[in-house]
Amino acid sequence: MLTIRLMRPFLFACLFLMAPIFLAAQTKMPQLTFKDRTLPNGARVLSAVDRSSPTVAIQVWYHVGSKDDPQSRSGFAHLFEHIMFKSTKNMKSEMMDRLTEDVGGFNNAFTADDVTVYYEVVPSNYLETLIWAEADRLSGLNVDDPNFKSERDVVKEEYRQGVLAPPYGMFEYLLQQKSFKEHPYKRPGIGSIEDLDAATLKDVQEFHTTYYRPDNATFVIVGDFDQQQLDAWVDKYLVPIAKPNRPLPRVQTKEPARTAEARLTEYGKNDLPAVGLTYLIPRQADADSDALRIADALLSSGESSRLYHALVYDQQLAAEVNSSADLREDVSLFVLTAVLSEGKKAEDAQKSLLAEIKKLQDTPVSAAELEKAKNQLITDQLRQRETSNGKALALGEAAVLLGDAARVNTDLSRLQAVTAADVQRVMKKYFSDANRLVLYYLPEASKTGSAAKPVAQKEEN
Amino acid sequence: MMKRVNSFALLCVCLLAGFVPSVLSQTSQATPPPPAAPRSVTFPKPAERVLPNGLRVIVVPRSNTPLASALLLVKNGGEVDPPELAGLADMTANLLTKGTSTRSATQIAEEVESLGGALDSGARWDASTANVGVMAAKIGPAMAILADVVRQPTFAADEVERLRQQYIDNLTLALGQPGSVARFVAGRVVFGDSPYGHPISGTAESLARISRDDIAKMHAKFYRPDNAILVIGGDITAVNGFALATRYFGDWKKPTTALLPVSAAMTSEPMKTGRVVVIDKPDAGQAAVYLARVGIDRKDADYFRGIVTNSVLSGYSGRLNQEIRIKRGLSYGAASTLETRRDVGPFIATAQTKNESGAQVADLLMGEISRLATAPPADAELTPRKAVLIGNFSRNLETVNGLVTQIGTLALYGLSLDEINRYITNVQAITTGDVQKFADAKLDAKTSNIIIVGNAKAFLTALQKQFPNVEVIPITELDLNTALLRKKQQP
Repeated sequence: MLTIRLMRPFLFACLFLMAPIFLAAQTKMPQLTFKDRTLPNGARVLSAVDRSSPTVAIQVWYHVGSKDDPQSRSGFAHLFEHIMFKSTKNMKSEMMDRLTEDVGGFNNAFTADDVTVYYEVVPSNYLETLIWAEADRLSGLNVDDPNFKSERDVVKEEYRQGVLAPPYGMFEYLLQQKSFKEHPYKRPGIGSIEDLDAATLKDVQEFHTTYYRPDNATFVIVGDFDQQQLDAWVDKYLVPIAKPNRPLPRVQTKEPARTAEARLTEYGKNDLPAVGLTYLIPRQADADSDALRIADALLSSGESSRLYHALVYDQQLAAEVNSSADLREDVSLFVLTAVLSEGKKAEDAQKSLLAEIKKLQDTPVSAAELEKAKNQLITDQLRQRETSNGKALALGEAAVLLGDAARVNTDLSRLQAVTAADVQRVMKKYFSDANRLVLYYLPEASKTGSAAKPVAQKEEN
Repeated sequence: MMKRVNSFALLCVCLLAGFVPSVLSQTSQATPPPPAAPRSVTFPKPAERVLPNGLRVIVVPRSNTPLASALLLVKNGGEVDPPELAGLADMTANLLTKGTSTRSATQIAEEVESLGGALDSGARWDASTANVGVMAAKIGPAMAILADVVRQPTFAADEVERLRQQYIDNLTLALGQPGSVARFVAGRVVFGDSPYGHPISGTAESLARISRDDIAKMHAKFYRPDNAILVIGGDITAVNGFALATRYFGDWKKPTTALLPVSAAMTSEPMKTGRVVVIDKPDAGQAAVYLARVGIDRKDADYFRGIVTNSVLSGYSGRLNQEIRIKRGLSYGAASTLETRRDVGPFIATAQTKNESGAQVADLLMGEISRLATAPPADAELTPRKAVLIGNFSRNLETVNGLVTQIGTLALYGLSLDEINRYITNVQAITTGDVQKFADAKLDAKTSNIIIVGNAKAFLTALQKQFPNVEVIPITELDLNTALLRKKQQP
């Protein structure tokens, strides 16, 4: 679950699924030359000069996310992200907006399962001001109760807007919640109204003290600046921040492997039934991730993709289909979903999704189709890197989630190396019956009739 | 083509640099360091020519990323739908990519996606578009496919049926969301039964009526080189861009029949204003609240006054979000848009809120519109709101798609392409008095309409206290085919 402070159509997919890159024959992927500096207090600063426009992107990646929500406080990391725009040590509420929006820039932030990222894009002559500001909110918060409560109401409206108002909001929420047994990933990042209501100002201070510390922060600065000047500002504003000598808590819980297919049915206010399948896959840094990303593109990238072509175009079973390799720092999920066409049955969509998986397991993908998936991924990557902010996101992701900043320039060769046999191998390895969860999300109105149940794989064959 | 430093943009950044946010003058706490001297901005310069068949071709080169994009605009869209056939222009445009005389729908998707690209088509108000974006090295083959789909679509019967079913499914999905229902209703309330009034992707009834023949006729009538504009942008030179345009579109024949003049005065019928419409959707998880009214057209002399006024209201720190989200926590976000079209377009202010707050949010939206005229923004408020517009505009031009879209829109409305170079000074010139005048003349609260889609039980009593004239329509009785919005009573 990825939630953001402002209303922007910024989906999980646009950020993390674009990571793969591939060099097509005639196109050079521009390399990102960056400086990697770790300060004595543990803060890391990655910087890359790009003078193509007179703007600069500043990002701070805190290695804390929804999985770190305190007990009975689901949604807290995200609520906290909102609070970071309220009063800090030397800034009054919304001052970050004065320093960015008011000078023609913008700011935003998002909370993912593993990280919380704050970012600003400003005219480059404001860079020093923003480094000061980010140092300030890392140093301390100073929020009062009315501000806290009103922002908590905003987050509750975000929950209503994202989960309760859209017909399939609760479907996506349940799909994540039901896919994990033990790991805190089972708590959707947006939380619940009850847990949000239970949060207090004291929780806010404790969370800041625990996780917002220089040795848990990665600064990423990309754009129009002078490297020496930046280094001097880093020395002035970031180096003096003290490193606490408390231990930094980390999630230790491990998700157990699935041993048997799980089949669930839930009801909602949707008019058309939906079906979701999830499979547990390894962490993002695992060597199999690249082949899984290719599999994802083969399944659902564009109208010639396998799921779209089979379920939407050919069989006309589904109004929408999707897949995503939802990669995380720890155990990840491969998700396939279909929203059915009018008059079609969930059972039939499930059957077709499984048939497409089986095809990828049984028959190696052709060279042309593999090349297509790689071309799609590189174009996506080029688009992401058109702007300084996009480049900074790619760099931050490599450093924090992949554990190696240099991978911002080398994911390319890893993807180039993926073969048809690799795709077939990971499809066989992870897409087993026992590793599958099936969720039917049916209209409330259909509850009275003969309730549909997800079909067991055995009955399929 | 050389890039050049744009002197107007340079001036603007200087003006911004002189602006010190008001918080910087605080003294009780440590204060942030002030800005350094600004740096200059460059905008790419478009080159253009008209091919002998009347097609206007514009090339906007920019080489910092190896991407390129081509956009074909036909100068008519949803506004030419016959009243009974809402959605015809959009279905026609969407079907372009579903088969030509030389490629099946499957082949088109396969070929474009093998290039790593995406080919999209659809209609909006005033235009039908097809565009393709690829790595720059693939722009030639991508344009071959673009030309094929625009010029020789076959509209096969099975593709028409397939798309009709998809439109019906999408409409079902949209009618499940309070926000999209409110948007459909706002169109009808503001524009009545005039050409901008219907849902652009059709209604259940109109979609059932559209025939293959209607689609083929729409294509024959409007898709012609002398009614179209081609914009190519990105990592490509003007010379190469013109060569590709000539190669793939040069032999597109201009019909001998005269081009129909674009109909004017689409909103000429007097609109009923001051309507307050509630669509009762008892299972809504949140209420969508809209204030909707007529705004201005794109060529209106008040255009820059209008967009600056809208910026005072909209954006994160705009007045609407300040009052509704930041001060009161009533919504995840409130915003407004002044959508300018060939004829007068809509002004819409919106927020989604819990059902119980529906009436309060309606009141706040109305209140902020009125307050523009009585309490116009002083310079301390206005300067940052102008900076927001300028920043958004400049960042939008950083991507190839943004660049091509902006240039395409200027060309569509017959404006000088050089306006991208005057945008910043035009915005800077707007004063407090301009905003007040615009709000007074064009955004009168009394002639605005309110639409709320949500669980009426939770807010109706409070709403009726503010507005005695509330019309309540259960969602099961909603009829989007007419400005009355209500299905005819069965005798």
